Amino acid sequence: MTGAVVELWVNGEPVRAAADGAEFLAEFLRERLGLVGTKLGCGIGVCGLCTVWMDGRLVSSCLVPVAVAAGRQVWTVEGLVALAEGRVHNPPPGLPRPELVRAVHRAFVQCEGLQCGICTAGQVWAVCALLSEEPVPPEGRVREFLAGNLCRCTGYQGILRAVQQASEEWAQRAAP
Amino acid sequence: MRPLEYVTPHSLAEALERLAGSDPSETVVWGGGTALGPLLRRGLVRPRVLLGLERVAGLQDLSLAEDGLRVGALVRLADLSRSPVVRGSLPLLAEAAGRVGNVRVRNAATLGGHLAHADPAQDLPPVLLALDAQVRLESVRGTRTLPLERFLVGPLQTARADDELLTEVWVPAAAFGRRTAYVRFTPRSSQDYPTVGVAASLRVDADGVCREARVAVGGAAPTALRVPAAEAALVGGRLTRERCRDAAAQVESAVDPWDDTRGSARYKRAMARVWTERVLEDLASEA
Ligand SMILES: Cc1cc2nc3c(=O)[nH]c(=O)nc-3n(C[C@H](O)[C@H](O)[C@H](O)COP(=O)(O)OP(=O)(O)OC[C@H]3O[C@@H](n4cnc5c(N)ncnc54)[C@H](O)[C@@H]3O)c2cc1C
Ligand code: FES
Ligand code: FES
Repeated sequence: MTGAVVELWVNGEPVRAAADGAEFLAEFLRERLGLVGTKLGCGIGVCGLCTVWMDGRLVSSCLVPVAVAAGRQVWTVEGLVALAEGRVHNPPPGLPRPELVRAVHRAFVQCEGLQCGICTAGQVWAVCALLSEEPVPPEGRVREFLAGNLCRCTGYQGILRAVQQASEEWAQRAAP
Repeated sequence: MRPLEYVTPHSLAEALERLAGSDPSETVVWGGGTALGPLLRRGLVRPRVLLGLERVAGLQDLSLAEDGLRVGALVRLADLSRSPVVRGSLPLLAEAAGRVGNVRVRNAATLGGHLAHADPAQDLPPVLLALDAQVRLESVRGTRTLPLERFLVGPLQTARADDELLTEVWVPAAAFGRRTAYVRFTPRSSQDYPTVGVAASLRVDADGVCREARVAVGGAAPTALRVPAAEAALVGGRLTRERCRDAAAQVESAVDPWDDTRGSARYKRAMARVWTERVLEDLASEA
């Protein structure tokens, strides 16, 4: 049995690719489409390395069989970069605003919110989702929200500072 | 390579029809996939068809009526935790749903999948037991409603027949307005299942006398467990320290935990008592 052809939207582009029905979205993105910005860690939904945006929500792509992803809108960190750089013309509703992604990116760099970088795509997605929902989250909420994205390098302090900085910048812009 | 088909019926009748005619090892119901996903990845389940419920009309509804709160089986835990209707009527349920796992789990996991999975350490079973919840099961043969304690049968075991879907969770209005609390004890990471979780709901009259009590514990027995002896220890008097301690001692003798990576049986038994005491003392001191 060869794989079935799966059709879905990845970063706004229609994609058709052969996939084993029992393959998961994380491997599909990385191995079939070469989108290696999405990492694969635990494979059980815990670590957050494989975070992607699917139909309006963050999910663990390691837990989504490609069969279930068929027909959906999936955005990876590569798409998030394109969005930040103004290369996406009709982003679906619910994706973070490009200004926010730029502010988060800057803050991660300036506040040393990363070291090896393996967790960073997931962290950035999580921070963008949090600040889209609540531009000035209390620290407790930030910690709770980011508890699902493990980082073995930074000790989280740089990440927390990055959230703080991005939040200040974003709240200023978001204010009328 | 194995073919895997994801089918998404639009009506409940169609979904039930599909389930009735299928082999349970070949066709598996898919809610949010957060429990099934890891099993599928490891090949522990090898279905050919995933029966997705996301398009079934009505299963996403959440409604508040005179007789209580009804939550469709496909309501995601993230939506449950944010819903103003749930926050208003049953704040404990919203709060507990908002603490399950991590944000990605809550975005995907459904209330129906959560209960049907029946892992004894899950958070919402004790909370819903303390709120007198009932579940609705539907099949082509008909509909039945069961109190949650009769639905939960054992570790990963429920009273659901292979051809039944869990379609709705109902919390009767009688459970509204009680003093409620839930504590989850997670000595490992905060996104882990709790080692033990204790939920309680109490109705206390103007004189401080406890008129109704529910005490339920998760993670410390083959299913989440209501402890009637603890409840009896609380009802009919003021919520004194002694009464709270008596109730907690009842919980300690009712639980039946086992050793695992979250703690030894002895430890869990002791923690079930300690956390019950804390929950009850917190509720006792509420004005
Ligand atoms: C990283 C991680 C952390 C977690 N942490 C916690 C935690 O802290 N606390 C906690 O309580 N839980 C935790 N969980 C477990 C989580 O709560 C469950 O995985 C989730 O609630 C299951 O819901 P689902 O919709 O994803 O179920 P699914 O995976 O879709 O289904 C689970 C089971 O129910 C069946 N099913 C689904 N819907 C129905 C239905 N309507 N009728 C009949 N059968 C149905 C499926 O066939 C399957 O057997 C965690 C899970 C992960 C992956
Ligand atoms: S690889 Fe998916 S959450 Fe860890
Ligand atoms: S930067 Fe290395 S794991 Fe987070």
